[in-house]
Parts: sequence; structure tokens; C-alpha cells
Amino acid sequence: MNGLKRIVITGCGIYSALGDTPAELFDNLAQGKSAVVRAGEEEHFLPTAPAPRDPDRFRALPRTLRRAMAPSACFTAMAGLAALADCGLTREELLELNAGCAVGSTMGSVSALRDGYSLVLSGQSDRLSPMHFFKSASHTTAFNLSRTLGLQGAIYSPCSACASGLQAMGLGAALIASGQTEVMFCGGADETGSEVSGSFALMYAHAPAEGNPEDSPQPFSAHRKGLVCGEGAAVFCLEEYEHAKRRGAHIYGEIIGYASNSGGTGLSQSDAPAIARCMTATCAMAGIAPSDIDYISAHATSTLQGDAAEAAAIREVFGDSVPVSSLKGHLGHTLGASGPLEMAAVFEMARHDLLIPTRNLREVAEDCAGIDHVMAPREKKIRVFFKNSFAFGGINASLICKINV
Amino acid sequence: MNLTREEIIEAVNGALVNEMELDPAELAPEKTFFDDLGLDSLDMVDLMIGLQRKFGVSLRDNEEIKKVRTLGDVYDFFEKYQAELTRQAEAAKKQAEQPANNP
Repeated sequence: MNGLKRIVITGCGIYSALGDTPAELFDNLAQGKSAVVRAGEEEHFLPTAPAPRDPDRFRALPRTLRRAMAPSACFTAMAGLAALADCGLTREELLELNAGCAVGSTMGSVSALRDGYSLVLSGQSDRLSPMHFFKSASHTTAFNLSRTLGLQGAIYSPCSACASGLQAMGLGAALIASGQTEVMFCGGADETGSEVSGSFALMYAHAPAEGNPEDSPQPFSAHRKGLVCGEGAAVFCLEEYEHAKRRGAHIYGEIIGYASNSGGTGLSQSDAPAIARCMTATCAMAGIAPSDIDYISAHATSTLQGDAAEAAAIREVFGDSVPVSSLKGHLGHTLGASGPLEMAAVFEMARHDLLIPTRNLREVAEDCAGIDHVMAPREKKIRVFFKNSFAFGGINASLICKINV
Repeated sequence: MNLTREEIIEAVNGALVNEMELDPAELAPEKTFFDDLGLDSLDMVDLMIGLQRKFGVSLRDNEEIKKVRTLGDVYDFFEKYQAELTRQAEAAKKQAEQPANNP
């Protein structure tokens, strides 16, 4: 990012189906574990990848904060507190720095929306809690994180479905790069539910109810039949490089490139040329060649068209020389959380010099061939990695992170 | 309805303990909702939504409930409200029992 301030990541917190810390998540990924189980009747027994919703866990959050939170905001707040502890900044310092946040989700909270509409449609509007709005608003993850950490700076909540989290990272990075602020807590969160999984199922984009749940999803596979919805959150502390260096903060990596674009025409179908343009623009912003990338953490959710389009774009931009894997086979598609959550896993991969393979990928589909699929654990030094997130509505987002700063 | 004052106290305190996660030891009649118990106006709306279901009454447009400041005020409110409902019901019953005065 020439002429702009440098952005580094100095804190990381997650809340996921496979662990509440990046280290625990990595251990479970390295063991090849799956978060996918079969849902109940309400979700038509579809495979799903739920994160823990045990109320006792959320009691770590004071009631005065928790009362305005549905699960998506609870996930965010838990991840945010972990990111705050990890970055080493105090709450007083956050105020002095005028720290802000950018966190996005697909649609706020599907469970809170459902609870509210159930009361309204059954003629029980008088039972609606005043908290209903705060739980279900599209920006619930952002203002609940802001309140949890006591942030008084900028606050944004990109609402771009499954690209929300990565767009929040890009937005926070842009604010720091332009000198508007020195610290931003950025990430994504989401919760699954029948409204989400059902929408994908209607479009023939969801994995079927039949069979062993853990065998779904199958990103890039010849046998892929659709995605599996998951949930969770990840929040990073993004910080201006000189500030982080002065205080001796641990630096996970530096965001050196970010871009987002649209195909301009698509509704649900991915657009390979647009994805390729987005990835090329990200490399250009980072000032590096595609061959400088050591690993691509793919969006690849296991849909027929999406995986093929992403593979085609990677083939065009990177050829077959950069290792690629998707973590959706382990975690399911955590929607708005997926970009940041999968990034947290990649930082752990870099720490261990180990690439996690795409779970359930045994036979690469013809339309996903021609790229370097990681199909078994692979030792590899990651110095620079690439993260993709795409969303309905033709939205693409890509980010490049450099590990050794 | 026809609850005793003790039953009213039990119902109100139960909501405060279960919904607002307050310590039962804190719940003395003289405690104010905002300053002593740490609740705010949104909590009060939530509390009243729960209590109106419990007592089978509608409080949305009740001006008296908006004036409560202490826990004791809420006990008193429901006690009086209940007495008033009972009085109205008895008056209605008495009127219904009077012979029709047809010409």
C-alpha cells in the first residue's frame, strides 16, 4: 500500500465450532476434525456446523451487555474480548487512541428475526421485548462489540453476506492506512438457521440431508453437492505499524493488499473473470506478483458453480504453482465470519509451517483442476498468504497478508 | 388473579432474579430500580412485559405503572390494581344480578 500507513494485526480472538482459541482451532483442523452434524427437523435434517450456544459460556458477558445480544453478537463479543486480551492494549489506551470497530454479518441474527416475526405473526406483538431490535439489527455485531470493548471511535458494519467479515477487515485497514485511526477491531460473525440453510437448499446449493453429515461439504470435489452452513466469529486488532512497533506488540502479520469488486451482473452465480480481476487488483495493491504468494485460503464452499469459478480464477491468476485449500470441509461455511475465522487458522498454519488440506477432497472435480490442491497435510513455510471471500449479489473480496514483518 | 401480597412479591422478585439476574438478597421494598438495582428504562419495559403476562393485565398504556420508583411501589401497584379489578368485577356482577326493570 504505497504512500499509505502500514497496517498490522496485533490481536486475534475467535469463537468457533472447533475451538475458542486459534491454537485449539488449529489442533482440531490438523486432526481433520469436522464440526458438521445433522440438524433437527426444523432445518429439515440438513447437515449443519453449529458453534456452542451454551448460555453459561455467555455469562462471561455482563447481563447489561448480553441482554441486547443474540448468538451472533455473543460470538462477536467473546471473540472481541479475546482479541483485546491478546493485543495487550488496555481499555484506557483504546479510548486515548479513539479505537473503533468494523464487524459484519449476513443479516444480523436469523434467530432473533425469527423470534420477533413469530410473535408479530401470531398476534402477540405486545410480548416483543425492546431488546428485539438490538438483537436482530443488521449491525448488531458491530455495536455490541463496540459496547463490549468500550470503543468510542469509528464504527461500521458491512452487510455483504458471506463477504461481510473480509470486507470489514478491508474497511478497517483502509481507515488505518489513510491515517484516520490507529486501531480498529475488525472481523465477522454469523449464525446459522433454517432461513439461511433453507435459502441455499432452495437454490440447490446446500449439501443434502442424506448420508453421513461429516462427509459434507466437499469443496472442489468431483462429488460435491453443496455447502453446509456454519457459525462463529473472529475479531482481529488491526493497528498502525509504527504504533505497534513502538509499544513492542506481537505482530501476527501485515495486511499488504485488499480489494473488493462485483461482477456487475450476477445474483447467485459466481463470476470467474470478476474474481480474477479482484485477485489481480489485490496483488497490484500489495505490489507483489502472484508467484510471491505461498498459500491461498480459498472461499470454496462446495457449491457446483462457486468452486468451479474460484478454481478457474485461481488458475488464470496463479496457475498451478500456489497451494490452495478450503477450510469449509471442517468448519462448514461460517458465512460472514468465514473470511476472518479462516484467516485466524492460517496464522496458526504459518506458525506451524503446515498447510491444512481441504477436508473431504479425495477426487478433484474436472472443473476445479489445474491448481495446486492441498489434499494432505503439507509442510510449507508461509510468508505471504491470500484470502478469498465471495458473496451472493456478485460480491468478491480478497486480502493479502504478509507474515514476517 | 386474586394473589396475596406475598404471592405478588414472589412473582415480581422471581422476574427480577430470573430475567434481570439480580441477587435475591438485594430485593428490599425500599430499593429503587435505577439507582439501587442498576436497571434502566429498557429493563423496566422488559420487566413489565413479563409481569403483564404473569398477572394477565395490560400495562402498556397504564399511567400509574410509569410512576413506580421502588420495588415496594410495584408491589403496591399490583395489590391496588388487583383490588380495583376485583371491585369492578363485583360491581359488574351485582349489576347483572339486579332484576330487569322492564316497563
